[in-house]
Amino acid sequence: MLPIEMTNNGNLLEVTDLRTYFDTEDGIVKAVDGISFQLKRGETLGIVGESGSGKSVTNLSILRLVPTPPGKIVSGEVIFDGQDLLTLNNEAVRHIRGRRIAMIFQDPMTSLNPFMKVSRQLMEMTRLHLGHTKQQAYEHAVKMLETVGIPDARARADNYPHEFSGGMRQRVMIAMALSCEPELLIADEPTTALDVTIQAQILELIKRLKQATGTSVILITHDLGIVAGMTDHLLVMYAGKIFEQAPTKELFATPGNPYTKGLLRSVPDPTAEQGELYQIPGLPPDVAHLPPGCPFAARCDRVQEICHREFPPFVQLTADHCSLCHFAHEVYEESRAETAGRSSESKL
Amino acid sequence: MSTQETNLETKLDGVAKMPPPIESGHGDPLIAIRDLKVYFPIAGDGNVKAVDGVTIDIYAGETLGLVGESGCGKSTLGRAILRLVEPTSGQVLFRNYDLAHLSTRELRKHRRHLQIIFQDPYASLNPRMTVGQIVGEPLDTFRIARGKEAEKRVQELLETVGLSKRFIKRYPHEFSGGQRQRIGIARALAVDPDFIVADEPISALDVSIQAQIMNLLEKLQRQKNLTYLFISHDLRAIRHVSDRVAVMYLGKLVEIAAAKAIYADPLMPYTRALISAVPVPDPVVEATRQRIVLEGDVPSPINPPAGCRFHTRCPYMIETCKQVVPPLVEIKPNHFAACIRISPEQPDIEKVAPGAAPGLEAAARVISQ
Repeated sequence: MLPIEMTNNGNLLEVTDLRTYFDTEDGIVKAVDGISFQLKRGETLGIVGESGSGKSVTNLSILRLVPTPPGKIVSGEVIFDGQDLLTLNNEAVRHIRGRRIAMIFQDPMTSLNPFMKVSRQLMEMTRLHLGHTKQQAYEHAVKMLETVGIPDARARADNYPHEFSGGMRQRVMIAMALSCEPELLIADEPTTALDVTIQAQILELIKRLKQATGTSVILITHDLGIVAGMTDHLLVMYAGKIFEQAPTKELFATPGNPYTKGLLRSVPDPTAEQGELYQIPGLPPDVAHLPPGCPFAARCDRVQEICHREFPPFVQLTADHCSLCHFAHEVYEESRAETAGRSSESKL
Repeated sequence: MSTQETNLETKLDGVAKMPPPIESGHGDPLIAIRDLKVYFPIAGDGNVKAVDGVTIDIYAGETLGLVGESGCGKSTLGRAILRLVEPTSGQVLFRNYDLAHLSTRELRKHRRHLQIIFQDPYASLNPRMTVGQIVGEPLDTFRIARGKEAEKRVQELLETVGLSKRFIKRYPHEFSGGQRQRIGIARALAVDPDFIVADEPISALDVSIQAQIMNLLEKLQRQKNLTYLFISHDLRAIRHVSDRVAVMYLGKLVEIAAAKAIYADPLMPYTRALISAVPVPDPVVEATRQRIVLEGDVPSPINPPAGCRFHTRCPYMIETCKQVVPPLVEIKPNHFAACIRISPEQPDIEKVAPGAAPGLEAAARVISQ
C-alpha cells in the first residue's frame, strides 16, 4: 500500500507499512496497523487523532521506544536519512536518538529528572553526543536556555525542575531536545498540559526555532486548531490506521473522509456563530476487538452495507491526498462543492 | 493578610473593595454573588487569595461561562457557591437566602437545587458503587424516592443522558470517559436542580466526545430550564455554550460580556491576549492572524501583584496600574472590563494616548457608588 510514489528526493524520514502490536489480556491490540508516510527536510507533519488512535505509538515506534513486551514492532521500515532504524542495533539507535532525532513529551514534569539540576540534564546531552567537556557543555546549556527564552538563564541553570513553572519546564525540555541540533524533532502533545497563553508562547517558540534551524518536525496532537497553524502536512489517525493524509490546507478545505469531516465540524469555531454542534455519534472503537469492515462504520453518517463487510481501500484523490474510505471520491467531491459554495457566498 | 497589603488598601481609599451589583437587563438573578472572597491560609504567613472580591449575577436560564488559566480561582469560585469550600467573606444570594452564611442544616435544604458536575469522570464516581447506586444516592439523601420508585427514576435519568437503562447494575470502570461524564450528569439531575456548576466537564474527554457532552448539556438546559455556570479553560467550548462570559485572572473578574461580544471585541488587555491565543481550526485564518504573545507566567496568588494584577504581564502597563485596583466598568452597553486605560469614551486600548488613563475617572465613579 504505497499510494504516494516513493522517492528519496529530500525525504528525511520514510515510514513504510509500520505495524506495532501489543499483546494484552484482551487479545492482540493493533495499535499501529500498516501506516506509511514521508517527511521532507524542513517540513512539519501533524498527526491528529483521538486517544487510542495510535498517534503516540507511531512516535514511539519511530524512536524504537515501544515497551517490549507487551509491545512489538511486527513489520515495516522506518528509513531515516537512508538507514532503517528498525534493523539497527541498540547501540546505533542510541547514537541517533537524542542527537539526530529528539523528542518533547506532553508532561515536562515527568520527563525531567527531579533530582538533577537543569544544567546537568542539559549537559548530559551534549557531553554524550557531541563530546563536550564539562565547561563547554555548561556554556552550551546556558546558551540553549537563553535561546528558548528562560529569563536570567545563567542564574536559573542550576535550579531544579520543581523550581520552574509548567511553561518554563516545557522550555527546558525544548532546550534539551534542540541542544544537539537534531534533524528531526518529535513533539507529542507538547502544549496539552499548558494554559492557553503559555501554549501560544511555546508554539511561537517551536515555530521560530524551526525557521532558524531548518529542523523537520512531527507534531502529535488532538487539537485541530494547533495543527492548522503549525503544519504543512497532516495525517489523521483512527484505530491504528491512517484515515486521511493531505497537505494541511487541503485537508481542512476539502476533507475526503467522513471521520475527518466529522472531526472538523465538531470543533467549535471561536470566530463564528454556530447552532447545535455537529457530533460524531458513539464511541471510539475498542482496538482489541475491531469489526471486520471499516473501523469507523458504526459511527459514520454515510455508512453503507459494504462498509460493515469490507475493509475500505486507501484511495488516492490527488497527487498527495489520500483517504481510507469506500466513498472517498464522493466525500471529496461533496467537500469541494461545499467549499465552492462557501467562497461564492462570501463574495456576495 | 500582610501588613503591606493593608497599608496599600488604606492608601487607595478602599479601591474596589465593594463593587456595585452589575445590571445587565436580564431580569432578576437566580444567584447573586457579592464581594465573595475565598482565602486559603498557608503555612507560615499569609493566604492564597483564590477568589478575591467577586461580584456577579447569574440569571435564570442562562449559561454563564467562566474562563481563566489554571490557578485563577475559577474552580474555587464555582465550589464556593455550593459551599464545597467555605467562603472567607461575602454573600451568595439564592432565593433571598445567603448560602454563604446558612447553617449546615439549613444549607442542606437549599443545596438540592444546586448541583455540580466535575472535571474528572474517573475520580468523581465511587468505583465500588453501581451506576444505579451512584445516580440513586441523591434520591435517598434528599428523601425524594425509594425502592421501586427510585429505580424507575434512575432508569429515566439514564435514558435522559443517553445511556441504556440496562447499565444500572454496572460499575464505573466498565464505562468510557464520555459515558462516565453522562453518569455524573445523571447524578446531578437526580434531584431536579435549578442550577448546575459544570466544572471543566469536557476537558478530560476526546474531541468527538466533547461535542456530544456539550450538546447534551444544551439539550437538558432547554428541556429543564437549567441555569449553568460553565467553568473551562477551553475558550472555544466556552464561546460555544455560553450566553455571557466572565474572564477571571488571579482571583478577580476582569471582563464580563455577551459571549459574542467578548470574542469579537475583547477590551481588557488580558482578555485580548487570551482570545488571540486560541488556535483557530482553519489554516487560512491561522496564516494571517496576529497573535498577542504575553511575556512571562501567571504570578503566584500567594502574593499577587499590587494594583491591577495583570500589570506584570501587560503590554499597555503604565505606572498608575501598579497602584490602582481597577473595578469593572461598563465600557460598552452590558460589556464590563477592569482596566483604567480604557473608558466608555475611549474603549480601544490601541488608540489611547501613551501614558493616558482615561478610565480613572469612571473607575472612581464606580468605586464611590
